[in-house]
Amino acid sequence: MEAITITLNGVEVSGYPGMTILDLARESGVEIPTLCHDPHLAPSGACRLCLVEEEHSTGLLPSCITTLRPGMVVHTHSPRVKEHRKTIIQLMLASHPDTCMVCDKGNHCELRALASEMGIGLVGFKKIPQLAMIEEVNPFLQRDLSKCILCARCIRADQELVVEGAIDYAGRGFTSKPATLNNVPMEKSECTFCGTCVALCPTGALMEREKPFHGTSASTVDTICPFCGCGCGIRLEVKDNRIVCVRPDMSSPVNKGALCIKGSYGYDFVHSPDRLTTPLFKVNGSFQKISWEQAIDRIASELKRIKAEHGTDSLAVFGSSRCTNEENYLLQRFARIALGTNNIDNGSRMHSSSSRVGLGWAIGSCVTTGSLDELEQSEVIVVIGANPVVSAPAVGYALKRAVRFKGARLLLIDPRQTGLSHFAHLWLRPRIGTDVALLNGIARVIIDERLFDEEFVSRKTENFAELARSLKTYTAERVTKLTGVPGQDVQLAARLFARAERASIVYGNGVTQQVTGTDAVMAMANLAMLTGKIGNRGNGIFALQRESNAQGACDMGSLPDFLPGYQCLDDAKARKTFEERWGNHLPDNAGLTAWEMIGQAEAGNIKGMFIVEENPVSGFPSPELVRKALSSLQFLVVADMFLTETAKLATLVLPASSFAEKEGSFTNFEGRVQSVCKAIEPLGDSLPEWEIIRRLSSQMGYPVPYSSPQQIKEEIEEIAPLYQRMEYADLEADERGPASLRTNHSRGKRLYGGPFPSGFERFSAVEFVPPDESEDGYPLTLLSGSVLLHAGDGTISSQSWRLRKQSPHAWVEINETDAKDLGFNDGDAVRMVSPAGSVSTIIRVASTLPPRTLFMPVSFQDCPVNGLFDVALDPRSKSPSLKRCSVRLERIDAGG
Amino acid sequence: MPVVEADVSSEIDLGPVDQLIDKYRQQRWGLLPLLQDVQGLYGYIPPRAIPRIASGLGLFPSQVQGVISFYALFYTSPRGKNVVRVCRGTACHVRGGKTILKLVKNELGIEEGETTADFEYTLETVACIGICALAPNMVINNTTYGQMNPRKVARLLNRKDR
Repeated sequence: MEAITITLNGVEVSGYPGMTILDLARESGVEIPTLCHDPHLAPSGACRLCLVEEEHSTGLLPSCITTLRPGMVVHTHSPRVKEHRKTIIQLMLASHPDTCMVCDKGNHCELRALASEMGIGLVGFKKIPQLAMIEEVNPFLQRDLSKCILCARCIRADQELVVEGAIDYAGRGFTSKPATLNNVPMEKSECTFCGTCVALCPTGALMEREKPFHGTSASTVDTICPFCGCGCGIRLEVKDNRIVCVRPDMSSPVNKGALCIKGSYGYDFVHSPDRLTTPLFKVNGSFQKISWEQAIDRIASELKRIKAEHGTDSLAVFGSSRCTNEENYLLQRFARIALGTNNIDNGSRMHSSSSRVGLGWAIGSCVTTGSLDELEQSEVIVVIGANPVVSAPAVGYALKRAVRFKGARLLLIDPRQTGLSHFAHLWLRPRIGTDVALLNGIARVIIDERLFDEEFVSRKTENFAELARSLKTYTAERVTKLTGVPGQDVQLAARLFARAERASIVYGNGVTQQVTGTDAVMAMANLAMLTGKIGNRGNGIFALQRESNAQGACDMGSLPDFLPGYQCLDDAKARKTFEERWGNHLPDNAGLTAWEMIGQAEAGNIKGMFIVEENPVSGFPSPELVRKALSSLQFLVVADMFLTETAKLATLVLPASSFAEKEGSFTNFEGRVQSVCKAIEPLGDSLPEWEIIRRLSSQMGYPVPYSSPQQIKEEIEEIAPLYQRMEYADLEADERGPASLRTNHSRGKRLYGGPFPSGFERFSAVEFVPPDESEDGYPLTLLSGSVLLHAGDGTISSQSWRLRKQSPHAWVEINETDAKDLGFNDGDAVRMVSPAGSVSTIIRVASTLPPRTLFMPVSFQDCPVNGLFDVALDPRSKSPSLKRCSVRLERIDAGG
Repeated sequence: MPVVEADVSSEIDLGPVDQLIDKYRQQRWGLLPLLQDVQGLYGYIPPRAIPRIASGLGLFPSQVQGVISFYALFYTSPRGKNVVRVCRGTACHVRGGKTILKLVKNELGIEEGETTADFEYTLETVACIGICALAPNMVINNTTYGQMNPRKVARLLNRKDR
């Protein structure tokens, strides 16, 4: 690529072909004012402020859309240019209301900043009166189009970043304004209230509503969103120890300037009045405040007593998919050294452990194999058992962008219609619970038609013969009979996937929360390995994570069977490293998984438990059993931000700090380790978990040599494989050059562990196990799943009052035909009964479901869907099934 | 052109729209000809057809609305069987075009841009039709009438055989 040299304000500078004058000027340190430009959006040349003078052209050129030509002589601040810019701003001000005094945009207003920079005082033009047209009633954003300067940043953000298409220009000339379809208010449109447009709006036309606190921020802190496993970068704006606003971190490689409704508006949970601020001790059934010293003393003596009386394995720790890597590392050290047990697990057992086990077995890496950028480069993307549009919005955006703008073809495998269905090239709707049969069917077509990558299979994998043998029975007829997917579609899917140069697989809880989750993950890995679509650019397997640090908690060894970095408990060398470092003996026997802890607690073998920011009563199946088990403990300590259903059962509750009040790191679903930074001081007497564990460990007689998360991080980087500095495989760094490496060092690097040290990946024959037949009297199948406004089991999102206000209650979706057959209408109150339990809710008729199927969101505390599930464990990952069960609906009459 | 209004005729069968879409499926360039086809079929573009058109071509409904509302030649509400266009160009203006417009409004009982309740007439104005020598002018459907006067207006608009 040949450089192009131009003269910029008398200085010769060079850029590459295709580069715009504006880009080159900014790179050379020349500031050209803009209002419509944003690096994340396609340039549009709308605002005309970036006009520059070029000696060979008669007119002025908009520098944001004019590409470099050799020999250009450009003046960015000539008198003619400056005069033009001034006039443009004056014209904008002439049709802008004089409400700056009371406009909440304040110093963030780019129009006002430019006017003041150019020394524009009174506008010489006659003003065009603009009446405010505020119309919205949602709690998130308001539009005042009288302040709109038609830069189209909101429209481009909506269409290019978030790919929702809720707004576009309507009308022409003076009447032209951004509008929703049929000009309905935002809350009646397709808008998902992701807040991206609000963050990008240069003026006060789009503003956040119903903020918990007002005022101009005094400082900003870049950190990571605590809601889902995407790990979007967010910027907290802080004033007087309060978060006043959250914006997307524009430099984040994950969210690329966009956020979702939870990230943008869910932050008010931090200042929820329900936050715990002092340690609580239960006396005669009610909680009383005690001091930290008393609390720590009490816990240490109780744990020591139980350890002495009943042995180390009578204690268990349930650590946290929401806490930082450093806290998880410390927590598992505490469990293994101070308590002397491997009974430690984390909340990801409930939603993604089958992914960890399946991928670990097949490809030797428990991590998603590629980055989001790479996913966006795939030609074919298979999405199975996931609705990333609501459960992992940043991934949803990337998928939609890939389809709409990069020509990717989406192969969607989902019985339910989701936000991705419109984007799908091919949409397969298998019967619920038949993923393994379908995946095997696809694999068989790939082998039969010799579409597999023979070189990759023979050089990089083992066990192919066994796989081929096991697939013999998955004939087209049988697969169609089992899954309900026409043989022709299975064939199409196989060809689509195998013939693509670059193809990826994305999956989520729809797969991993089934009893056959691990099998399905292995079947997916088989497909990727067969076609050689793994481990290189544009190919890979992407496992979505529900919680912000589910990946990191597992990486840190908050697991009963692995030490940090997935080192086996019986690996003598690894044990020696940790024993030397921690100065104590490690317990040898594998510990209990989360569900086994509950079982053993109920059986009376576990006497004491320490639960950190997890809520098993709301997240586990059979909440009654969990309640009973936890109540029967001699001693239960819960550290959490809120008095959760689980915390209510504890003897002692410790107030934990939120993500905004601590330092550390989260590892997102891609395996990207990103810094979490402290923005405000801990609320009340709450403490970050690492500090709680540190104090507790000292009191137990096992002081730890760290006084800050940074020191813990250093130890992790020293001794935990994967996190060791030398093993970082920053794939993007190669492409983006050393400049981005330098600026991005804290932005996180991606971990990639696999393949196996031997270099071989492993096929596994997985047999389809039919799901349980629906029981008599329970004719309908319930699917549980995520919704956009809430995260995970809802423990945090239900504390955000704006999210709660917009979406206060659970519902059950039912197919139109079934609703008619059963005589239900929208809004009817019903009781949903399964063999294990029942919940009351209201009916929502939807056209998104296959017949005899219901859908219910999982995130509502007042409607615990988990209560409907019987305990059924995935045999390999020991994670309970929380995806589907048989139910019936009963009408609740208005009288009661 | 105001933003698309609510659809007044929710009982229209939109089936034929899908057949029209098939010609351009997933080809974004086809939006304008497709909109013309749809308008040719219904006389206007039923707002309820917008989401179908959008998903057929791989566009957002809001984008389709944007294009429709940009062009004066697209309509989103039903129009009369006869479209009356009164010229308000300079030449017509000086020769009494404004009065002609007023007369037509009175005769039909509607304002500019409106359609009579019986869907017989839609009234519009145009900037110039290029036969200024005959001013004031008026166009009904595809026929041009020059040198308009009150009697002529009454006669033309009362013809039942159109």
